[in-house]
Amino acid sequence: MTVRFAEKELKELIQEASQGEKYPLAKLISELEKPDSFEFRKVLFKELENSGFNGDRSVTIGFTGTPGAGKSSLLGEISTNFLQTVPDKKMAVVAIDPSSHISGGSLLGDRTRLSLPVREKRIFFRSQPSQLELGGLNPYTYHVIRLLRCFFDFIFVETVGIGQNEIEVSKLADLSFLVMVPLGGDQIQFMKSGIMEVPDAFILNKCDEESLARASFHTLSTTLEFLRDIVPGGSIPPIFLTSVKTKKGIQELLDFVLKSKPHPKRSSETKVQIEKWIKTEYGNFGLSFSEKLGNIPQKNYEDWESFFQSEIRKRLL
Amino acid sequence: MEKKDHILYDKTGNPSKEPAWIFRTYAGHTNAKESNELFRKNLAKGQTGLSIAFDLPTQCGYSSDHPIAKPEIGKVGVPINTLEDFRILFDQIPIEEMNTSMTINGTSMWLLSLYVALAEERGEDVSKLQGTTQNDIIKEYLARGTYIFPPEHSIRIIVDMYEYCLKRIPKWNPSNICSYHLQEAGATPVQELAFALATGMAILDAVKERNCFTHEEFEQCVGRISFFVNAGIRFIEEMCKMRAFSDMWEEITKGIYQVKNEKYRRFRYGVQVNSLGLTEEQPENNAWRILIEALGVTLSRDARCRALQLPAWNEALSLPRPWDQQWSLRLQQVLAYETDLLEYPDLFEGSRVVESKVKDLIENANKEIQKIKEMGGAIKAIENGYMKAQLVKSQAERLAKINNDELIIVGKNKWKEGIPSPLTNDPDGGIFKVDPKSAEQTLKVLSDVKTRRDAKKVAETLARLEDDARNGKNLMFASVECAKALVTTGEWADTLRKVFGEYRPSTGVEGQKLNLESDKVANVRSKVEKFQKATGARPKIVVGKPGLDGHSNGAEMIAVSAKHAGFDVIYSGIRLTPEEIVQSAVEENANVIGVSILSGSHVELAEQIFSELKHYKADIPVVFGGIIPQPDFEKLHSIGVKAIFTPKDYDLMDVMDRIIDIVSEKTPVLR
Repeated sequence: MTVRFAEKELKELIQEASQGEKYPLAKLISELEKPDSFEFRKVLFKELENSGFNGDRSVTIGFTGTPGAGKSSLLGEISTNFLQTVPDKKMAVVAIDPSSHISGGSLLGDRTRLSLPVREKRIFFRSQPSQLELGGLNPYTYHVIRLLRCFFDFIFVETVGIGQNEIEVSKLADLSFLVMVPLGGDQIQFMKSGIMEVPDAFILNKCDEESLARASFHTLSTTLEFLRDIVPGGSIPPIFLTSVKTKKGIQELLDFVLKSKPHPKRSSETKVQIEKWIKTEYGNFGLSFSEKLGNIPQKNYEDWESFFQSEIRKRLL
Repeated sequence: MEKKDHILYDKTGNPSKEPAWIFRTYAGHTNAKESNELFRKNLAKGQTGLSIAFDLPTQCGYSSDHPIAKPEIGKVGVPINTLEDFRILFDQIPIEEMNTSMTINGTSMWLLSLYVALAEERGEDVSKLQGTTQNDIIKEYLARGTYIFPPEHSIRIIVDMYEYCLKRIPKWNPSNICSYHLQEAGATPVQELAFALATGMAILDAVKERNCFTHEEFEQCVGRISFFVNAGIRFIEEMCKMRAFSDMWEEITKGIYQVKNEKYRRFRYGVQVNSLGLTEEQPENNAWRILIEALGVTLSRDARCRALQLPAWNEALSLPRPWDQQWSLRLQQVLAYETDLLEYPDLFEGSRVVESKVKDLIENANKEIQKIKEMGGAIKAIENGYMKAQLVKSQAERLAKINNDELIIVGKNKWKEGIPSPLTNDPDGGIFKVDPKSAEQTLKVLSDVKTRRDAKKVAETLARLEDDARNGKNLMFASVECAKALVTTGEWADTLRKVFGEYRPSTGVEGQKLNLESDKVANVRSKVEKFQKATGARPKIVVGKPGLDGHSNGAEMIAVSAKHAGFDVIYSGIRLTPEEIVQSAVEENANVIGVSILSGSHVELAEQIFSELKHYKADIPVVFGGIIPQPDFEKLHSIGVKAIFTPKDYDLMDVMDRIIDIVSEKTPVLR
């Protein structure tokens, strides 16, 4: 198959990427986005660990919501504020767009709505086609995020979600937002159907006009109040009112993000992702088998992947 | 005396002849001095009006000394920085006697301010000024791309101009609804009717909302709205379209806006015939196309344009030479003065065929207008991307029809064999090129003005402009003061950018599909699949539209067809810097960069792109597409461009086929 990087070359790429060089990082990401990336991942993440990059302190933020909610433009504003107000931190954005069902190709248009400074090493933007995956994530998004965590303090993941699958991103985010527009009656219905347990916070975007914004805020908070019983701990997630047009609420939102901490137990995230992978590869059969193995202790993803791979194969044969 | 149906009578009942329409050529290039000479020569040749083309920096609100302006100075029109350039441009031209059309939109208020300032400086009676500032910002969002501010602020500027002109320059048309570029962008006659009339209504609604006029004054405003329409090759249909326009405008102004004075309800329009259908192949055939298209808007008296400008036969190759423009002017003169065209009443009155066709167009256009109204009007239909997406769709359908020979274009997809045209055999290759050194003169005038002018006055007038913009005052007054203080185009626009912000509209390509299923598609897709199997990833293309040229059709078509072929496509719309395009390609680790340029700045932009790639140490193949003359191919290749596509390469899958080959060649396993 493809030519992988030689050891020395890989070390160089990692060093350059850690210094904010865009092209080496882009090349590493492309390798992770390939279906047979297992061996490469093993080497890459071991090498990263040896070089002292583990990504434990980095925060992953998920932005999901229906198309047209203005997620990209909002991220654009957040990036601008981030670069101006947090001079010692770095951020990356992964934006996922749907692929065509006919040709498999995709049009990745999120850059249109983000005007990013040129040659700025503190920000990195990458598009990803969804590859027809449900839930708006790409099969390789998780690995790309693991890599980006090694070099950036904040990783924003933007996904298009329609319906229940919107929540997928929350499984790999430390903090996830559901972005909505004012007076979305349908969205309230849809929250009642269960999604409201998932986001850590809500954003009412496109609040260009004050009275409409306030009305929507009250509708939403009343609905959340009503559903308080099913929220673990009974607390209501915060609601942000934002407008890209009037710059309303952007800094507050950014401050909230900056204050958030990475999830204390990344191993639970690894478990979720391993289970997801098993389900994709071996269906319910694999999953039922993996349950018998109990909890996954602290161990890296690739070790677990190869462990399950060989165990399941053994049983299959 | 018995009146005969075939004779045209004047108001007194005497047999008469219609006066000819205004003959214009869309002209301007290099710098103010050269353009002034060109204008004076054209007027001496019998041209009866001026139609000024401005260069892209002037249109987009940048002074010539701005970095983004550099590759574009004087390329597609004349650069105008300060009042000094207008003094040079109109030297020895009596502006009080002229009918001057300015194709300018985002900065129309600024250019009109310069014109007013010049007239006042010359001591002319300003109220006598006659002409048009195009100022149709909606079609800029949709098709041509020289917008600056967001829709609401752009509309405000237009209304300011109506308010100012009504009292001070009553014969000026402050805006002109230009559906010309919609057809160039692929609009069908129905779409052209509907989108243009919906735009007209959006302007009238905004004028009404300002509530600064009496009803009588409002009627006068309605009377000042003019249209600039495209006439295509299906000339019978086009003539019917013009008749439909008149009927519908009458209905709209009378019914919705209660305009009582008949004079103010008249659909007044100028025409430039279609350039989209002109071919690079066998370019001499374009002469016939231009004649036939001109007939559509001159044949029938009830649907005859008030002013006409014809493209030159070689416009699909590059900029026309003065001789080419002269040839087009002569065509108008032959038509108007040698033939008997102007001697008859309307030839098609009572024609059942024409009436039925007009009715059909009206019905369909009304349906479309209804749809736009339900969305909340033209501005909303821009903001939500509806109109743009419709145009991209129509254009894709048109190209698909050319590809599968459903639409015949002589010399292009049929009867392709021919003898090379002797017209292109001149040592200049049959095309005009702007002297790359000519920008120096423009820059010198600009820097002279900057040292000479009163800096304090500049700062004061700009501060007033900013205040007025924030406080909702009419911006014309401050703009004229700025003009007199020798403020530059860039300074004027930057001040307003600061208050209004800059706009990035929808690209219209999301969700587009190509109805193109042929062996070619299958072939390209199989190559894509092979690439994917070998590398584990789909090929990725960054489609870039650098610089100020906003004609994004080509780029959009390539983006849509690349997706159709199975590529992952990154397309971010127009007016990107080469630095931004390369950064996208680097971050995305793209396999190829496709750049589209129509303004003639391909060499400069290629140099910038390759120097930026060098900065990132990125080895990504680059292909170019656009109006690129053959003599420049070698230069582009030497800079590093892998392939060049021109309008000759109209088959989108052929283009994708070459691109996937280039991408695959880069991949060791596929070689």
